[in-house]
Amino acid sequence: MVTRGGQTAIVGVGTTDFHDLYRNPDPGRTAEQLGVEALRAALDDAGLRAEQIDGLIASSVAYPNLAFRAGLRDVRFLAPYPMSGRMCAVALAHASLAVQSGMADYVALVYATNMRSVRVHFGGNEGGGDLYDPVFGLTSPGAFYALAYEHYLADYALGGKSDGLGEVSLAIREHASMNPEAVMQSPLDLQSYLDSRFVARPLRLFDYCLVTDGAVCYIVTTLERARDLRKPPVRIGAFSERAVLREHFVPEDLWAEACSGMGQEIFERSGLGLGDVDSLQVYDNFSVSVLWALEGFGFCERGEALDWVQGGRIRRGGELPVNTSGGMMSEAYMQGWNHHAEAIRQIRGECGERQVADCGAVLYACLAPVSGATLLVRDV
Amino acid sequence: MAYDKPLPKITREDRTFWEAARERRLLLPRCLDCGHVWFPPYLSCPRCASARIEWMEASGRGVIWGRIEMHQAYLKSFADVMPYNVVQVQLDEGPMIFSNVEGAAWDDLAVGAPVEVVFEDVTDEIALPKFRLA
Repeated sequence: MVTRGGQTAIVGVGTTDFHDLYRNPDPGRTAEQLGVEALRAALDDAGLRAEQIDGLIASSVAYPNLAFRAGLRDVRFLAPYPMSGRMCAVALAHASLAVQSGMADYVALVYATNMRSVRVHFGGNEGGGDLYDPVFGLTSPGAFYALAYEHYLADYALGGKSDGLGEVSLAIREHASMNPEAVMQSPLDLQSYLDSRFVARPLRLFDYCLVTDGAVCYIVTTLERARDLRKPPVRIGAFSERAVLREHFVPEDLWAEACSGMGQEIFERSGLGLGDVDSLQVYDNFSVSVLWALEGFGFCERGEALDWVQGGRIRRGGELPVNTSGGMMSEAYMQGWNHHAEAIRQIRGECGERQVADCGAVLYACLAPVSGATLLVRDV
Repeated sequence: MAYDKPLPKITREDRTFWEAARERRLLLPRCLDCGHVWFPPYLSCPRCASARIEWMEASGRGVIWGRIEMHQAYLKSFADVMPYNVVQVQLDEGPMIFSNVEGAAWDDLAVGAPVEVVFEDVTDEIALPKFRLA
């Protein structure tokens, strides 16, 4: 049974070749250009023409410039979002609501960036400074996650197990090695992980996501229209959001309350359960987010994720493959948009070597000041 | 050499806090209506929105909630002290505050370890609340 939220679907998906872009940085290559490339691919995938797109959500790319270049002449629903991963699930929810209400028939959602080529530097000023953090040398989101991870390790007496965090990075890298368009495809072993330099100790280089160029587009419409298009629809089973707006980037409960609330809503609205989830896509800005998502949504108990992820459980062929395209740590930093692209392709069975067998439902989760979750399901 | 690390930009909301810090006193705002104590300073209570507030003198004691050691010089002015620790301290009065623990190596710091405030004069105007192991 798929309820209210299940009456909309994703009908087209397009991505740039992240691997190729990474090997060939070019500051003259604009985000708009990359966005149009992804949009064109998504239109082709869906069997739609640009003039049929009457809704546009643009993230990290200027919407007028994108619309001019993509030939979008009749937009009835427009929503620009900043370059901000936390808005990814929210954007998809808004697209679903827009087509459900009739504001638009086909909404194209585009994320595009050339951040690597134009050398965007992260870490110097985010985190706000509202808590005088830069005064004490505390900058970068990673540092906030590292601080909270230390609390987590102590809280559950996990100090002796902290090297086990490497399995998150290793598993995700293994998935990327089966994705010819992923940026980082060479295998990673535990020793190389442990030997990598600290950025904000206890977090190491390989606990961090990449900085890359690229674009992702997917197209949302009603389920009814979706069934007449080229590819089988991927239903938006349910979505949920929690704004966890505090002075502290990472809340003291590591988003436990937000995740459990979102999980409850997602499964209530979709009529599915945790056991129906065939793959989990986590906003892997940092490896630790995977642990907290697994615990928050109830895949394992609080404090158990470091043990739970071991033994191949989150790898392809395991109980719950996580970030099957390589996520943001190894595929590309598309701020959650590549996770959705992967979820769509997994449900369609288009993922080749990394395909999850009989993949009927994929959960996406982002733990951030605006937390969001999406459940995508096969149309049956 | 002049102090070149970031300094707090004093505002109407936190002027009292920084003036007291210069006198080696750690002040926290407290709500006269609901009793809530908070940090950073706002001119209204972030629990009940009351504007009836007072400043209370905190004990200066707390425990380490989390710790890191920064190895990346995102801020160039910190390059000469790398790596350095940053801690999140839960004060005995409840609020959390970020700071550094002076004279402590990574292995000396532990989540849950008691700490107490020490003030470090960095400019004529600003004394920073730092901590040492208690």
